[in-house]
Amino acid sequence: MTRRQLLLALAACAACALLPLVVQKDYQLNVLFRIFLFAALGLAWNLVGGFTGQLSLGHAAFFGIGAYGLALFHGKLGVPVWPALALAVAAAVVASVLIGGVAFRLRGPYFALATIAFAEVLRNVAKNLPDVTGGDVGVQAPPLFAGAISRSFYFAAVGLTACSLAVTAWAARSRFGYYLMAIRENEDTALSVGVNATRSKVSVLAISAALTAVGGALYASLFLYIVPDQVLAIDISNEIAIVAMLGGAGTVLGPIVGAIILETASEVFKNVFHEAHLLIYGVLILLVVLFLPEGIVGALKTLRRRRGKG
Amino acid sequence: MDKLWSGVQAVLNGLLTGSLYAVIGMGMALIFGVMRIVNFAHGAFMMLGMYVTYVLYERAHINPYFGFVGAALLLGALGYLIYHGLLRRIAERSDFMQILMTLGIALILSDGILLTFGADYHQINIPLLDKNVHLGRITLNAPWLVSFAIAAVLAIGMFLFVMRSSLGRALRAIAQNRYAAPLMGIDVHRVQALSFAMGLAAVGIAGGLLLPVFYLYPGVGDQFTLKAFVMVVLGGMGSIGGAAAAGLTLGVVESLTSLYWGNEWAIAVDFAIFLLVLSLRPAGLFGSQRV
Repeated sequence: MTRRQLLLALAACAACALLPLVVQKDYQLNVLFRIFLFAALGLAWNLVGGFTGQLSLGHAAFFGIGAYGLALFHGKLGVPVWPALALAVAAAVVASVLIGGVAFRLRGPYFALATIAFAEVLRNVAKNLPDVTGGDVGVQAPPLFAGAISRSFYFAAVGLTACSLAVTAWAARSRFGYYLMAIRENEDTALSVGVNATRSKVSVLAISAALTAVGGALYASLFLYIVPDQVLAIDISNEIAIVAMLGGAGTVLGPIVGAIILETASEVFKNVFHEAHLLIYGVLILLVVLFLPEGIVGALKTLRRRRGKG
Repeated sequence: MDKLWSGVQAVLNGLLTGSLYAVIGMGMALIFGVMRIVNFAHGAFMMLGMYVTYVLYERAHINPYFGFVGAALLLGALGYLIYHGLLRRIAERSDFMQILMTLGIALILSDGILLTFGADYHQINIPLLDKNVHLGRITLNAPWLVSFAIAAVLAIGMFLFVMRSSLGRALRAIAQNRYAAPLMGIDVHRVQALSFAMGLAAVGIAGGLLLPVFYLYPGVGDQFTLKAFVMVVLGGMGSIGGAAAAGLTLGVVESLTSLYWGNEWAIAVDFAIFLLVLSLRPAGLFGSQRV
């Protein structure tokens, strides 16, 4: 990391820390929470989807395990909240090893389909085991913070984003990260030069799952009540992937940019266009695919490279 | 004995439901299996087919068992336009982009329908719905028998199209090698556009046939998108007949699951089978192709 980047990162942290002095309304803080939450989730997804090139469309599984883990370990087994959070994260890591073990034997769209299938199996199991999960009715999640709730959750989301960003920055320049990118570019070539592809992929999915599970637990704890169709829904998986791809899959800052734009846009669309907001959202996706296939940060990078040459 | 008969009844009901799944799956087999377009809007297109048939019935009083032709024509035309307007432009890019694009199309379709028709559930009522055919202790619902017959004709037609017609042969050539095919004088985009149109026409027909025996709301297609993928993978990529067989299998499995475990487990069982097959036999149950 260069000195300039370090200074920029510190300045960004300071700005995020000072933001609640200006923004004090709960609604606005909750919108900011959502932006940072999805920035963190997008960054976590990006490790697998962007750097390693494995398009997961089942990250709702880890999000949901984080949410349900917190709720069930605390509510059903009486574990205190913070250890319950840790157990939820551990559960997500275990699940990621199981999912990775099966899904990583598959490539391309098959991998994506397998991840969706896992998330859907979990959602249906959660719906159909009312004694354990509360079923369709849902279950209560414990509050992680007391007092100044909106602000605390905002800070927690910022912290999670910073963590995810640090992991991403490390992955972008470490040996491990180069393994991942080699797998993305050509898995067979990577194998032939001695990269243990399966271990690298399972490890990165475990890291991604852990971060995603923390996000899910934060979400559950802010809303205090969760149902399967909300925290284990395909929509969550899609939104996480779209945030990262809109900003630029495989770039360090892409998912943050994507989260800021997409979450702000969907909040504005919801308020202005009401029922038409998904239509506008769909059109936005089409425009990105047609005109910004590398995402926003990716397109800026290409533009800068061309300028440098010209 | 009663247990046995209820089992037989469930298997037969499953085959009837499965025949509609088969039509959905065959459309997807053409689009995803043969053309390799990862179509996450498949269910949304089916939903559109249902609404077209619904409008024809409500406004023009056309029986859905004729109205599905309208749905097929409209979706076929839409498929042709979408291929040339959108999918063709990203033909050379990664699967990522196709997934994103078709997700976008699905959102636009289902929200467009929501804005036009509202979120209410609809159901149509035609006299055929109350008719049953009795065979000893087995009772079969007449509309399902009609749709089974139509699905069977369609399945044979599609199979012959892909295996026998020159367009079908060109399509398989593209699937084998998309770089060599144009060198043999095949107009890749023309063939792909027509096949995509045909895949959507099939799912439009499935929608039309499903309308009388199901209920209608803007999100009705969502559950069928994943099922369609499941069928294509179970059937073996690129195999139209395999997808049809997988459709029938899913129908029976769901029907038996409902009978012995309860309806709510049907989807979970579908996906569990899907994962099991993917991990043990990635070429699919009925396929021989390597993935």
